[in-house]
Amino acid sequence: MKTGTEKEVLHIEDLSYAYEKDVPVLKHISMDAKHGESIGLIGANGVGKSTFLKLLVGLNLGYTGTLSVAHHPMNKENLNHIREHIGYVFQDSDNQLFMTTVEEDVAFGPRNYGLSEEEVEERVQEALRLTHIEELRDKHIYKLSGGEKKLASIATILALEPDIVLMDEPSVALDPRNRRHLINLLNEMEPMKLIASHDLDFILDTCERTILMWQGTIVADGPTKEILCDKKLLESHGLELPLRYYYENV
Amino acid sequence: MSGIEKQLREIDKLNTLQQRDQWMNRRHPLVKLCLTVVYIIFVVSCHKYQLSTMVMLAVYPFMMFNFADLSLKDAIYRMRLILPIVMAVGIFNPFMDREVVMELGNITLTGGVISMITLMLKGLYAVLSAYLLIATTTIEDICFALRRLHMPKILVTVILLIDRYIYILGQEAERIMTAYQLRAPSQKGIHYKAWGPLVGQWLIRSMERAQVVYESMTLRGYRGEFSYGKKRKLTAPDFLLLTVWLVAFVVIRKGF
Repeated sequence: MKTGTEKEVLHIEDLSYAYEKDVPVLKHISMDAKHGESIGLIGANGVGKSTFLKLLVGLNLGYTGTLSVAHHPMNKENLNHIREHIGYVFQDSDNQLFMTTVEEDVAFGPRNYGLSEEEVEERVQEALRLTHIEELRDKHIYKLSGGEKKLASIATILALEPDIVLMDEPSVALDPRNRRHLINLLNEMEPMKLIASHDLDFILDTCERTILMWQGTIVADGPTKEILCDKKLLESHGLELPLRYYYENV
Repeated sequence: MSGIEKQLREIDKLNTLQQRDQWMNRRHPLVKLCLTVVYIIFVVSCHKYQLSTMVMLAVYPFMMFNFADLSLKDAIYRMRLILPIVMAVGIFNPFMDREVVMELGNITLTGGVISMITLMLKGLYAVLSAYLLIATTTIEDICFALRRLHMPKILVTVILLIDRYIYILGQEAERIMTAYQLRAPSQKGIHYKAWGPLVGQWLIRSMERAQVVYESMTLRGYRGEFSYGKKRKLTAPDFLLLTVWLVAFVVIRKGF
């Protein structure tokens, strides 16, 4: 598991957001993240994890407070620039992959950013190598299995060489082998990672720091092992111990 | 397998054909697109009594199907919904044009029969040549060729997105149908009372999914225009293919 360096890539201060006036979904959130850090974002259903992730990539605007990504304040003017630094892996890979083949999909982002064909080729090769799916390069998207789609989705993001990778439930629908493969991949990845998941064992395996959300606010932010061992804290916020600790406590 | 699933598999098969590493697939998309358009123009501009020219023009689809290693039977099967409509265009001609224009032994052929056959062949050839193009060229390559021909980017993007969203629409429809059938096992088809909610659900779910796909595109730098794959250069075989067929079309039109 990689730990963060001193370079700050995400700065959030007193961030609040509401879809409808007077019904805040996120309230007074503050956090910082450094390059290389791996952060788990946990919380019961409906606490605002996905909304939080969407704010970070600018899919939701109109927040109050301070939000800066790679030292750029999040606003409409900076949106394109910020998105060059940030990659978002959707929960459902079918929504992420829309080109004909894996190669085309992985090359989609770099091509849009105007890279030369040589650079695009390099990025594609490297992304496929990192995700160990070189053999799927020419495979049709619709013929991929669930695990292959997830890895291809991650490759599409790695090809952008982002400073920050956001992931929404990355372990959903993966078989044990692909799950282990994904854990290894995430632990090797350089960028800062923010992983929203209900799979607490997965968070234990991939993140050194964990943020616990409850009703739109951050109620705990600290080392993963400390937070995920705290039965009282988890249960009072709608969660349970990870399975590996749960059975020790039964 | 449901009807929708079968259709989705047909799209898959077509996509597989497009991905083959085959001589015809490797040709420049601009050449294939131009050739198809020119061929269709030659075909549709033939006079209604020029049956011999029409017969000779069959050489293009039949030879190219052979070159491209495509099955004519599969092509006709996949185009089975369009072909009857296209070929029915001239069905009333024999009743309207009864003038005898040709005698083959004891058989007299009226202008109406000849024009009906000509019209049917025109429809068949146009459909086959279009199939030849889409079975050997990916949608990205076709869009790339269209942009090279200066077709407005908004139109080209719409063509590309229609191709993308047809599959999404199909997948959503298939999921809804399966969920319905599993809870109404004795029901044959869909009860008319369920049509409204099902179509509504289908539309809403497809729109939601299309929205997420669009978000995924914008997050990877999409700014209103696709980059249509690798930029290709025209090669000697491309020029040769184009020249040979253009000459052949002119010779056929002038000679017959």
